[in-house]
Amino acid sequence: MAKTLRFRFSRGQELKYLSHLEILRVFERALRRSGLPVEYSQGFNPRMKIVFGLPISTGLTSDAEYADIVLEKDIDLSTFVETLNESMPLGLKIHEAVELKNKNNIMNEIKGARYNITMRASLTYGEMEDMVSSFLSKEELTVMKKTKKGMSPVNIRPMIYSMNVIRKDTGRDVNSSGHEDGNIIELDALLSAGAQDNLRADLLMEAFMEYTGLKADILSINRSALYTIRSNEWKTPFEVANG
Amino acid sequence: MRIELNDKILLDVKKPAKYTGNEWNMVRKNPEDVAVRFAFCFPDDYEIGMSHLGMKILYHILNKRDDTYCERAFAPWIDMEDKLRENNIPLYTLETYTPLCEFDIVGFTLQYEMSYSNILNMLDLGKIPVLAKERKEGMPFVIAGGPCTVNPEPLADFFDFFVIGEGEEITNEIIDAYKEWKKAGEKREKFLERVALIEGVYVPSFYDVEYNDDGTIKSITPNRENVPGKIKRRIINNLDTVDFPDEIIVPFVGTVHDRIMLELFRGCIRGCRFCQAGFIYRPVRERSYDNLLDLAKSAVEKTGYEEISLVSLSTSDYSQLPELCNALIEYTEGQKVSLALPSLRLDNFSLGLMDKVSKVRKSGLTFAPEAGTQRLRDVINKGITEEDLLNSVRMAVEGGWNNVKLYFMMGLPTETMEDIDGIADLGIKLIHACRDLPHGKTLNITLSTSCFVPKPFTPFQWEPMDEIDNLMQKQYHLKDRIKKGSRRITYNYHEAKLSMLEAVFARGDRRTGKVLYTAWKKGCKFDGWDEYFEFDKWMEAFEECGIDPKFYANRKRAFTEILPWDHINIGVSKRFLKNECEKAYMGETTENCTANCSFCGVQGYKAGICTRTKRSV
Repeated sequence: MAKTLRFRFSRGQELKYLSHLEILRVFERALRRSGLPVEYSQGFNPRMKIVFGLPISTGLTSDAEYADIVLEKDIDLSTFVETLNESMPLGLKIHEAVELKNKNNIMNEIKGARYNITMRASLTYGEMEDMVSSFLSKEELTVMKKTKKGMSPVNIRPMIYSMNVIRKDTGRDVNSSGHEDGNIIELDALLSAGAQDNLRADLLMEAFMEYTGLKADILSINRSALYTIRSNEWKTPFEVANG
Repeated sequence: MRIELNDKILLDVKKPAKYTGNEWNMVRKNPEDVAVRFAFCFPDDYEIGMSHLGMKILYHILNKRDDTYCERAFAPWIDMEDKLRENNIPLYTLETYTPLCEFDIVGFTLQYEMSYSNILNMLDLGKIPVLAKERKEGMPFVIAGGPCTVNPEPLADFFDFFVIGEGEEITNEIIDAYKEWKKAGEKREKFLERVALIEGVYVPSFYDVEYNDDGTIKSITPNRENVPGKIKRRIINNLDTVDFPDEIIVPFVGTVHDRIMLELFRGCIRGCRFCQAGFIYRPVRERSYDNLLDLAKSAVEKTGYEEISLVSLSTSDYSQLPELCNALIEYTEGQKVSLALPSLRLDNFSLGLMDKVSKVRKSGLTFAPEAGTQRLRDVINKGITEEDLLNSVRMAVEGGWNNVKLYFMMGLPTETMEDIDGIADLGIKLIHACRDLPHGKTLNITLSTSCFVPKPFTPFQWEPMDEIDNLMQKQYHLKDRIKKGSRRITYNYHEAKLSMLEAVFARGDRRTGKVLYTAWKKGCKFDGWDEYFEFDKWMEAFEECGIDPKFYANRKRAFTEILPWDHINIGVSKRFLKNECEKAYMGETTENCTANCSFCGVQGYKAGICTRTKRSV
């Protein structure tokens, strides 16, 4: 009996420079090495039945990528995770798998993505917080975005659900502004994601710097969660695998 | 020192995964646990270098040793080189991000002459003095292997030593010698003296070259005792006795040959007179059927690759091809792996085979008649007749192919305009000959011409290359004739200027090294890539060095002349090559090695086909 699994994987520093297409190939080859009974499509050019939630752009690390895979036969979930991990290169790791009990394709499910953006800027937490709230108070934030028809202006404000400065020490602010090397500041942002209205974190930061005049070095961007929506609430792809 | 790279560099270059390693099957070792650190360098882009079988073999052989760590480096693409130079980051290996200058041995593979400028550039980027004589105690030894070492002279100034021939065994001997030298605590030069005793090693600084007034070579002589007068090419007598890699590195970035390469045999029985590979890899030695089948299976399991390709100079000449193909087809179908069969001669057997191989795109078939008339094909000993070709193409069209590519060379010895016309006429004949077949009217033919470049250790090693102007005229003439002949024929041709440069370095002597150095200083690199080839800079370099490229490329050399590579012994005798050259002029062909032994000289190795073919005179 065929069985569909949904699994979560992470991508670390080691492989952050791979493109989405390169990641897909890594999975196909790892699956072939693993000997797991992956189901193939019918026809002249059989392909593995595996679908990824959201493309992962070059330069991004991630804690929470999701994919759905169809197996020819029933395999114990933890065996699946262990077996596939033995064939994955350093930098890609499967963390958990659940059985998918509906026909909702992971690609259509993804509606939101949470990012952790680390930068170096000569600001205090307080100053950064002011900048964020002034940025979010704008009703329209128009940037040039690549669309199917080429570059065109898009209002990204509706695609930003939240943006917060992460205060590392409770109560105390980082060094005062004007520090020579700047301070390490982290932002948490929940953005619209998926086939429609996808906002990339690097594009958000471009717009943020353009609108606020902030001068910052983006050091790293990590995707920390992917979400779908059920009855107006954010749910992880695992939470909706059952029904 | 471990090189640190950041997003600012890597997110600003194309395909950054070429520069970060960590591929599946990359070998991980602690550099502190090994006695010898070896950097294997490929002087071209990652996508080319990672397609090279020789590198995979030697990476595997070296890393099997507990005392050695072999790592990889490639020529960074122009965008990455700019970043490295801007940030003063030395060229590093992908395994441990170690600068090249920190290695014990830095080894390059010489696959084609037009990568020579990249070698100098990589050394410079790796913070290693480009000139061998400027390397001091404690600096790496820079060595080279690969087909171009059969004439190492243009690179004599840049390498500490060359390794002539196949590397599986000799590489181990060099590593052993290095360890002994290190243990003895000797000076740099003593290591060179030690390796000079290994058969197949050539230390250029141990030889002096003298010249005649007319610029030809007067003598090549060892300048110290115990150094061989002739350096003999090394070969592996029995391929089944040496390791062939199954744990091949699987790149993330798509490469040119992104698949398992299964080497059927080395050498070629055919003896086409223009083809260097046909002579410098003799004799033919096959890997056994059982060995190949096991290798294919374990390579699929260990890499997860979706394709296997058979590799050799002429797949059809493998003695157990039908058995091997049947077994491979059965195995690959079960694994959903596809099988590629390049270099097949087209006949009923191979057509049937291609039909059986699951994933064939019936888009294009390639033939290489190499010359437009039977007379010239006899001159070059290309055993293919017009009738063969007509039959093959008709068979192909009947089998469903409608795009056929034909390769030719221009500027071959004895060529006349009749032979050039013959190229167009052959294409036109094929178009007409297939008209009566179903779908025959949809046949498209692409004719491609390259420029003949005479190479060392071929019967044409004494021949002049055709002048650039002549070649260009012939190209225009052919273009015109094809245009008038048929609308279903497309014509492509190679840049004659690049071929001329290739001709200089293929048969150059030590003095041409100065030109290479000057051209590199002027910024020449990636010469094999059209978009970076700067012919004018090269011509300036020749002029500044007072060297006439025509002396090397376009001059007819006398049989009696001492050739720059005369101190290299690849096993094929000069007497045989001269005889083949004379036969060429008379239009006489020579039988292939399976049909009859022609006593080329490699019988001395007592290996492969030489131990089987009966000799009749």
